[in-house]
Amino acid sequence: MGSRARAILWAQWRTLWNHFPRSNRFGLAFTLGISALWYGVVAMLAVGAGVLLASPDQGTTVAKLLPGALLLALLYWQVVPILLASTGASLDVKKLLAYPIPHRELFGLEVLLRTTTGVEVLMVFVGAFVGLVRNPRLPLWAPLALIVYAAFNLLLSVGIRDVVMRLFARKAIRELMVFLFVLLAALPQLLLVSGMGARFKVLIPLTSSQFWPWIVTANLLQGHFTPARGLALCGWTAAAYWFGRWRFEGGLRVDAHESATPVEPVGSGSGWWDRLYRLPAAIFPDPAAVMIEKELRVLSRSARFRLVFLMGFSFGLLIWLPMTFGGSGSPDSWVGRNYLALVSSYALLLLSDVLFWNAFGFDRTAAQLYFLAPVPTATVLFAKNFTAMIFITLDVAMVVLVCTLFRLPVSAGKVLEAYLIVFTVSLFLMAAGNLSSTYNPKPMDPAKSFRSNSGRQTQAVMMLLFPVSLTPALLAYLARYAFEVEWAFHAVLLFFVILGFLVRRIAVESAVQVLGRRKEAIVTALSQSDGPISG
Amino acid sequence: MDSPAIVVRNLRKIYGSKPAVDGLNLEVPRGCFFGFLGPNGAGKTTTIRMLMGLATPTSGEIELLGLAMPAHAQEIKQRMGLVPDDTLLFDHLTGSEFLEFAGRMYGLERNTARQRAAELLHLFELDGSARKLIGEYSKGMRKRTAMAASLIHKPELFLMDEPFEGVDVVGARLMKELLLDLVKQGSTIFLTTHVLEVVERLCDQVAIIHAGKVVVQGTLAELRTGTETLEDAFVRVVGAERPTEPLDWL
Repeated sequence: MGSRARAILWAQWRTLWNHFPRSNRFGLAFTLGISALWYGVVAMLAVGAGVLLASPDQGTTVAKLLPGALLLALLYWQVVPILLASTGASLDVKKLLAYPIPHRELFGLEVLLRTTTGVEVLMVFVGAFVGLVRNPRLPLWAPLALIVYAAFNLLLSVGIRDVVMRLFARKAIRELMVFLFVLLAALPQLLLVSGMGARFKVLIPLTSSQFWPWIVTANLLQGHFTPARGLALCGWTAAAYWFGRWRFEGGLRVDAHESATPVEPVGSGSGWWDRLYRLPAAIFPDPAAVMIEKELRVLSRSARFRLVFLMGFSFGLLIWLPMTFGGSGSPDSWVGRNYLALVSSYALLLLSDVLFWNAFGFDRTAAQLYFLAPVPTATVLFAKNFTAMIFITLDVAMVVLVCTLFRLPVSAGKVLEAYLIVFTVSLFLMAAGNLSSTYNPKPMDPAKSFRSNSGRQTQAVMMLLFPVSLTPALLAYLARYAFEVEWAFHAVLLFFVILGFLVRRIAVESAVQVLGRRKEAIVTALSQSDGPISG
Repeated sequence: MDSPAIVVRNLRKIYGSKPAVDGLNLEVPRGCFFGFLGPNGAGKTTTIRMLMGLATPTSGEIELLGLAMPAHAQEIKQRMGLVPDDTLLFDHLTGSEFLEFAGRMYGLERNTARQRAAELLHLFELDGSARKLIGEYSKGMRKRTAMAASLIHKPELFLMDEPFEGVDVVGARLMKELLLDLVKQGSTIFLTTHVLEVVERLCDQVAIIHAGKVVVQGTLAELRTGTETLEDAFVRVVGAERPTEPLDWL
């Protein structure tokens, strides 16, 4: 590693070290707790993989599972960051380009940083590697294929990240890309559902080709070496290197200002968009009205928010579609009957990162205005929460619209049910989010579609906290199932709505106190930038 | 004979369909203190970003210290000191850590970088805040840190974007004296600024950019006509002489 690359790593280490004692204890404890839980689960998976692969008697099971598991690892590494709109830590090339550092050193570092989107996969790979080494039936060279496969994934990830960042950097193209991604990914399922899949059976041999990297690797890991397999894996890795390097060099030439080409913002004129933005003034007096209007304008013009809003009603449909209407799923199953509520909840999950958990994230340096202007802090939180509800209402409406367009079963009762659930859950998310936003604010770049942090917290929220916040909905469904009457469902939800309002009110009072006490820390936290590595 | 420090030919930068820099030509001799002026949005920062290698020109040629950009970018960067806008600083590093980082990025040994960082912090009167994070610095302190970082590898050419913005009188005086000393020693300084007093006091030559094009270039004496002040000349050149309409309510 070159001296300059070492200097970058040193500076990043100092950045983290300096940040540590200044971090908010609540935020730190939250992050550590969530990380411990998350990685605990992954560590168990790694141990499981190790035990399975170490056993010489499990050859048949391993042969059956390994190609699928390796494909899953590839998808997790390459696709999940896109689904979470988070591309992991990355070099802040914009800052580093000012220095005379050779591009190959920057590329080497960038490749290393791609581990941040696949830490979980790497942990499982380590477990698997140990297992393979301990397996007495396998030749000593066999586990090495796993290292090459990891390298292939790292290099591929560099290229994919650049392609995704470039495609999602430009307005209009970004929105188009979301739909293309959804269509592309949904195509196989739609073909299955529509019965047109038979026409494409000719493609099946192609997809099970022995030369796909996961199949080649699976064979090599089991000790089935042939020169063709060895060459194939090396070829895939070389191709991934070429692709990654090519895209990385392309990325270095992109001017960050270029992608931020000034365009006419939505609603800047006097058209109907503008009238929509001004609607809150018809309901609320200022300053609440003007703050809601500001939130609506800022969020709808933010690249990141627009992306999660689009993903909310498109990716959600994609994820739940196969479980409901494809394969063994059925429209009469529980998932099928509550499809709308499930997709709406997924939309809520995606939007909650911006709207609830880190509500001040986009305010950055502008946050000090809240402390300077003669506005009660509770009004600021009210404006943010009310705006959140507007966007959630709109996203659920889009889910309903898309479902209707695709002729998926939608009824007035199901629409009402979806709204009741997301509104009830939102009350609790607001309460928790108001506290989280004031205790642990993090600056976000509204112009970046994809977050550059590793998305670990988002994953943790998705896997651990969000299901907890869905408790009211789960209990309502349980009541409906237990009593077999509709009013039981609504009675439980009504109880949680009342409870949610109370909890939110207490949380707002607490958050107001925190905002008053920590204003300096909040403004500082929101206005700071990263180290040489964003993440 | 030495080639000019900066040669720019037909430089263009187009964002979308709007040219930010539109066929810019410029020549800055070595050992010159060059002021690059222009109204807001004229293309100053875009030009200096292209010179720094932070933005890629749409077309045109750039030569710095006799070497073509971007073909010799690494060699040029090694011989250049940059004071860009303060977004290029790392907020979670202390001033001393950032200077050491900058030194090492320019290839200095770790100990040398550390020693020079301490000396520069002292020179720029930042040593009292050595343990403070840059994110907690005032705007003036950030500019002084950026300037200190630009000096750490003793470059020949300096590109500075608004180096005196937010710097207090004492700090600005120190920086001006330092820059004049550097020019006396043969360094070339190319700076953008809105403070005409700085230009009048420091610069040998000036260029005024307007709507992406250099509209005038020469010495201060060549720029002024008669008893004109630099401000008058600037307003005349960029065609900003328009009557102000008072607001009734103000």
